[in-house]
Amino acid sequence: MICDVVLALDAFELQVSFETEARAIGVFGPSGAGKTSLLECIAGWRTPSRGRVEVAGRVLYDSASGVALDPRVRGVGYVPQDGLLFPHWTVERNLRAADLGRGVPADALATAIEVLELGPLLSRDVSTCSGGERQRVALGRALASNPDLLLLDEPLGALDRPLRRRILPYLVRATEAFDVPLIFVSHDPTEVQAICSEVVVVESGKLVARGNPAAVLGASERAGMDFENLLRGELELDAEGRAHLVLEGGVRVEVPSRGARRGTQALFGLRADDILLALEEPVGLSARNRLRARVERLDADGQDVLLSARCLGPSGAEGPLLRASLTVGAQRELGLVKDGPVQLVFKTQSCHPLG
Amino acid sequence: MDAAVLSALWISVKVATCATIACIVPALAIARWLARGSSRGRSVVETLCALPLVLPPTAVGFLLLALLGVDGPLGRRGLGLDLLLTWQGAVIASAVMAFPLVLRGARTAFEEVDPRLERMGASLGLSRFAVWTRISLPLARRGLIAAAVLGFGRALGEFGATLLVAGNLPGETQTMSLLLWEDIQLGQESRAVTLVGLTALLAFVLLFAANRLTRGGRASR
Repeated sequence: MICDVVLALDAFELQVSFETEARAIGVFGPSGAGKTSLLECIAGWRTPSRGRVEVAGRVLYDSASGVALDPRVRGVGYVPQDGLLFPHWTVERNLRAADLGRGVPADALATAIEVLELGPLLSRDVSTCSGGERQRVALGRALASNPDLLLLDEPLGALDRPLRRRILPYLVRATEAFDVPLIFVSHDPTEVQAICSEVVVVESGKLVARGNPAAVLGASERAGMDFENLLRGELELDAEGRAHLVLEGGVRVEVPSRGARRGTQALFGLRADDILLALEEPVGLSARNRLRARVERLDADGQDVLLSARCLGPSGAEGPLLRASLTVGAQRELGLVKDGPVQLVFKTQSCHPLG
Repeated sequence: MDAAVLSALWISVKVATCATIACIVPALAIARWLARGSSRGRSVVETLCALPLVLPPTAVGFLLLALLGVDGPLGRRGLGLDLLLTWQGAVIASAVMAFPLVLRGARTAFEEVDPRLERMGASLGLSRFAVWTRISLPLARRGLIAAAVLGFGRALGEFGATLLVAGNLPGETQTMSLLLWEDIQLGQESRAVTLVGLTALLAFVLLFAANRLTRGGRASR
């Protein structure tokens, strides 16, 4: 995918340019950074001043050669922040909207209904749907239209945080089930990490960082103390029915077993402030997870510190980088320093399923 | 109610209905263009279309006479139309007078449709026609019906232009407004009162319906 867009906006000029092989790209940045304008240029809702947009070798826009495909033929599935459902239609008619245009393949519709659990909503008027239901319908409508590119513009942005976390697994499952290239705009690092394999950070219309979501969004200036770690791995069930998530490096984390199926890939969230830190493995503690780790970074922000620690597997292999928050006082008292050892301690219930 | 009143009522309703229908298609097309277009000519077209609202009806009637008269470009020796002193002529006069109201209402109705919904339709591959018929028109329908109702009301009460173009022929072109004018001229006060009551009742019902439709449309959005 090539995305090179220059567009004059009221407050600044949007200038974003990147070329990537990644199929799921996150666009991260604060409100008003130009993220929605970027997506609208890709969808053909706005015309850039200049640039080039190319998806899977197909040129959608190229100012140099005068190519500017009509939105009707761009093959883009767009999910804006407010869903933008057709208010005079039922849920089912919204899902079948592309029947009047590029068509709705029966299997795509069936998959969208199944993965997003839309079956019970089909006959409902969209005005009676809740915010979360509306976003699921909007996502289903875009996916059922069999797009070549999915544009997700903060699809969970209008929902409160608990609801966002409940809807996120649908989004993760849907993007995995359809395997369509996508651009996902969000200012929630957890969502970007859960969905994307690469992220670009846009601030005031300029691309300021790019790379692996965990690395880029875990940087101190973006992570914040409410940072949420993502644990992605394969589920194992032991003889007593407890579920363990096996992460890279063989690091094992006990997670809630409800709904867990052996051998499946799973995604869990773990908030930075849900992790306790210790210098030695604690005893007589109810928390089930005690991970050996090595401190890689300590980023102070006033009285708060965000600690980045590399987990170590049983054989000493390097596991995932997790972030934990603590106070400056706690850091001093423990004597935590870069490259020093640390134990990460957290409860099974602190891990909540995201997909 | 005497036969003259019933005849005038029938002619008024017939003329107003046909005039409203004649207005709707061009009004929808122009309203849509005014609501969504970006061409520079929009304000000129908008002003031209609004002229019948501010011109004296007799001036509009005079212009129509010039167009539809025997020697006019649309008249017998021009395009071959022979509409003077006919109920169809009254339809033309009423349609021209009602057109600005229908156009304004339709334009507002289209402007109240979120343009992003139309873009979303395009992104799903819908043709311009499908976006227009399946998204824009249904979403604007309440406002459009209200505009048509107002246009019908305007056509029903038309007087000056109709008198000049269609005359005042009882049973042919004599509408309620023309009969009322005649009754006042001839001092037939009791029938005039009946006609005023009837026209007031019709006007109330039409305005009430238009208001309900407009408010209902806003509440449902």
